[in-house]
Amino acid sequence: MRHSHGVQHAVLGVVARNPEGIHGYAVRRQGERLLGHFWRLNFGEVYRILDRLSADRLIEQVADGGESARKVYRITTRGQQSLDDYVLSPQTDAPRPLRQELAVKLLFASPEHLPELLRLVERQRDAYMQELHKLGTERRKMRRAPFDAFVTHLLIDGAELSARAELTWLDEVAKRLQDRYGVAGSA
Amino acid sequence: MIEYRHVTKVFGSGSTAVKAVDDLSFTIERGDFWSLMGPSGSGKSTVLHLIAGLTPPTSGEVLVEGRDVAKMNSKEAAELRRRRVGYVLQTFNLLPFLTAEENVGMPLVLDNVPQRDVDRRVIEALDLVKMGHRAKHQPTTLSGGEQQRVAIARALVINPAIVLADEPTGNLDRANGRAVMDLMADLNDRLAVTILLVTHDPVFAAMTKRVLRLIDGSLEQAMAFDEDDEAFAANDGLAR
Repeated sequence: MRHSHGVQHAVLGVVARNPEGIHGYAVRRQGERLLGHFWRLNFGEVYRILDRLSADRLIEQVADGGESARKVYRITTRGQQSLDDYVLSPQTDAPRPLRQELAVKLLFASPEHLPELLRLVERQRDAYMQELHKLGTERRKMRRAPFDAFVTHLLIDGAELSARAELTWLDEVAKRLQDRYGVAGSA
Repeated sequence: MIEYRHVTKVFGSGSTAVKAVDDLSFTIERGDFWSLMGPSGSGKSTVLHLIAGLTPPTSGEVLVEGRDVAKMNSKEAAELRRRRVGYVLQTFNLLPFLTAEENVGMPLVLDNVPQRDVDRRVIEALDLVKMGHRAKHQPTTLSGGEQQRVAIARALVINPAIVLADEPTGNLDRANGRAVMDLMADLNDRLAVTILLVTHDPVFAAMTKRVLRLIDGSLEQAMAFDEDDEAFAANDGLAR
């Protein structure tokens, strides 16, 4: 969960799953249950994000009146809108791994949004193909470089391998989503 | 140059019918370089077969240089395959008892080209793929990468307008696969040969100018690469 945007929305998503309200401790517990070891927020971070979401009026405190001092939050209409927008928003164009962010989106998207999510997968695939194309161009340039580009070639190899891995994973995601939800191709 | 107009191809009939190509339309301009990707069984090879007239479409039209392949008579169809379309396969398909130059010359010999011209054109084609020094070798004495370069020379010897390549890197290791793709890119660059290439490998697909993705015989996605002219400035590869 490196990207603050994804992290915030992961917390927001967990709150959204608990319309009756949820406290910070339970947010972390549920997050861990949903995302396994990809959930890397400690309690302090969860509380900080909850404060921030609350200040942004994306969540609100449930008026409890009980004796517990723990703050219990639920999502606001504005928060739900923000979550929906996020879940369906395209990726930033820089090709970086989509895995964790996509996982957050998949967890909190409703099944009827799957065609849109598949399109996000496709856009990401495009971004990686463009990246591979650029790397190929770079490789050709380096080949006629008037200096020893040994290390650059190694870096290009590495970048190519990771782009290839991402593409393979995206293919797998698309296939498994289609198998699971029976949604048609999204072209 | 190559145009698909609502092409459908069904193999078999009744309950065993398989739709290999499903209402596919696209146009490849002269001198373009496309790759075709998609899972096994998505109809990629059939797309090539239809262009070469190896099988007729069930419906729709496949036009090559403005002419409907299915409406060609057998003489015209043979001419298309012998003089206009070069084919490169994953398995090279070189005749083992012939030398590299005899393999390359075979399409010309079958087309009754005079031997003097055959000799000259074979040398040119082998030089293009940098295999001139192996002209007298038999395929079994060549590496996989070398065999594929000879097979590409055989496709080029007819001076084709179009080269169809079905997984040309499928039997090669990465380095040789890359060399074959570099060669394809340079041929497209220098000779303006239109190339349609089937590949599973995204790295190789990204070396072309446009990618079509097929799923179950229909177009899932088409993308063009952001072109960087410098990328194809041909100072390497075939340049001498």
